[in-house]
Amino acid sequence: MLDVIKPGLHTTVQDLGRDGFYHLGVPPGGAADKYSFQIGNFLVGNPAHYAGLEIRMLGPTLLFTKRTLIAITGAPTPCFINDEPVPMWQCLEIKAGDVLSFRFAQQGICTYVCISGGIHSPEFLGSQSTYIVHQKPECGYKLEIGGKLMINEPLPGAFKHAGRFLPESFRPSFSKTAELHATLGLAIHRISDEGVRVFLDSEWIVSTESDRIAYRLSGGPISFEHTVQTTETDDYSANVVDLPYPVGVITVPNPKELIILVSDATAGGGFVTIGAVISSDLDTLNQCRPQTTVHFSAVTMEQALRLRAEKKQRLASAAEYLTT
Amino acid sequence: MLALAETRFSFVGDEYIYAEISREMSVSTSFKALAVTRELHARTIPGIIDICPANASYLIRYNPDIVSPYDLLDYLKEIDLTKSRPEALNLTSRIVEIPTWYNDPTTREYARRFKDRNESPHFSDFELVMKSRGFTDEQAFINDHASTPYLLTMVGFILGTAWEFPLLLPPDGVFDIPKYKSPRTETPRQAIGMGGAFTVVYPVASSGSYQLIGITPVPVYHPEQKLAEFKDSMFLARPGDIWVHRPIGETEYYSILTQVENGIYRYRTKNFDFSPEQYAQEGKAYIDSMMKGF
Repeated sequence: MLDVIKPGLHTTVQDLGRDGFYHLGVPPGGAADKYSFQIGNFLVGNPAHYAGLEIRMLGPTLLFTKRTLIAITGAPTPCFINDEPVPMWQCLEIKAGDVLSFRFAQQGICTYVCISGGIHSPEFLGSQSTYIVHQKPECGYKLEIGGKLMINEPLPGAFKHAGRFLPESFRPSFSKTAELHATLGLAIHRISDEGVRVFLDSEWIVSTESDRIAYRLSGGPISFEHTVQTTETDDYSANVVDLPYPVGVITVPNPKELIILVSDATAGGGFVTIGAVISSDLDTLNQCRPQTTVHFSAVTMEQALRLRAEKKQRLASAAEYLTT
Repeated sequence: MLALAETRFSFVGDEYIYAEISREMSVSTSFKALAVTRELHARTIPGIIDICPANASYLIRYNPDIVSPYDLLDYLKEIDLTKSRPEALNLTSRIVEIPTWYNDPTTREYARRFKDRNESPHFSDFELVMKSRGFTDEQAFINDHASTPYLLTMVGFILGTAWEFPLLLPPDGVFDIPKYKSPRTETPRQAIGMGGAFTVVYPVASSGSYQLIGITPVPVYHPEQKLAEFKDSMFLARPGDIWVHRPIGETEYYSILTQVENGIYRYRTKNFDFSPEQYAQEGKAYIDSMMKGF
């Protein structure tokens, strides 16, 4: 059992998400930085998908009522067991009665706590991932003061992993600037050539209104193609016939704003779209803090598949390092 | 008449293929999207994760580690072609009644709170929709909205939000109601909004950019699954459904709300086999025969 002494800013149970319900408006969800999350599971000897905790900016204070193993990965955060600093990216042994606490993350957004055997919480449509709509969990679990969270038994033999760690070379980097690869298309015909050039050439600043649903960025201005006005009130050209929004889609609600949909994406809408961030860069985007400077570069399908394969290889190498 | 241009396919990121049937909304484009995606659902295709029909398009999410994007694209093009004949578009459907309190105080209050994000701060959302649709009389607008059956062309946004497209269009064709310039950060649960030519019911409290015109006491997302219509699914909407709004006042709103809370509310529904070809030929006469006895 985990007793929640302090919940942190926004701490939720996440796994690798739920597939197959997007056509009903249920987004895939799951850990926002899947690379860091999976490494956390590998460190404690879990399969990649076991449910753990996602912390955003400020972590919780948790009392463990049984002996287990944990690993803390993702955004660099000062973390403590019984007020003693402990390292991240390492498999840590926890005794019954130990208290885990955090200070504000120094960089990035999402820090993960993975626990040997995983967290025991109800599934919704095949996943334990927490999906929050309007600050209320529609499923899963968001930590609250006084809350209790069941954790499973550590995997048999897990304690022999205590102390193992992942070297820096396998860890993601965190910075004040980010380069994101995107395929262009969708409703790009509604953006002028000059608008596409501005999108690719200019710097975009991550805004504070960014969360697990969407990232908002400001910059531009991106000019639209002139369209025929259909009604007297329609003097605005950022609308198209509503379409399904892929995760990673870059929408342009107005010339100076981009909204990129992420894990808990709203599945469709009518804003002009210019393209989509490729899947292997979504972890990077989800770790961008407000004020991060983002630059986009256009890639072809072949390049996107190559970057995907490279990322998969990086994760496989890290897993291999930890298991040999 | 039913006439469909060639579908344009494009890769979106490394996990999605977007099929654009048309850039303009029409009933025939959404019948095609429904027919293709129902066919794809019926086959269990390895590597396909999500199949999302939409108003004038459809979206496929796949795992490129399992299926080659290029091979999948060829496969999708083949299926798309088989659904280009009007007789291939027939649809088993059902009509569902949504009791609607138009221009209610709750959504009026939300419209007031977020007016600075809207097209014009001088009008309420309801007034803006009336004006955009060319109505000056509130009751005339309500009668028009409630006498039109709507086809669910797409489900998505969040938790079973359904896009309702009017099956009977005004003589001047598809209308286009402007959305908020920047989305509201809040919308009350079961509020009813309009944007473009569409009507939606917001299943839960959420963000949103459609103009708010009313509210319904009946859920469209019901995770408790207490009401009979939700026995098999938490979501009321199925793409291809036909929804009808019935105007109600404050008293009936609260009476239905109580029935919903007690788990005894029954939705008025009727099953119907919809023929897009007959609809294209007969128009209003076909809709009238469909609505007979409902």
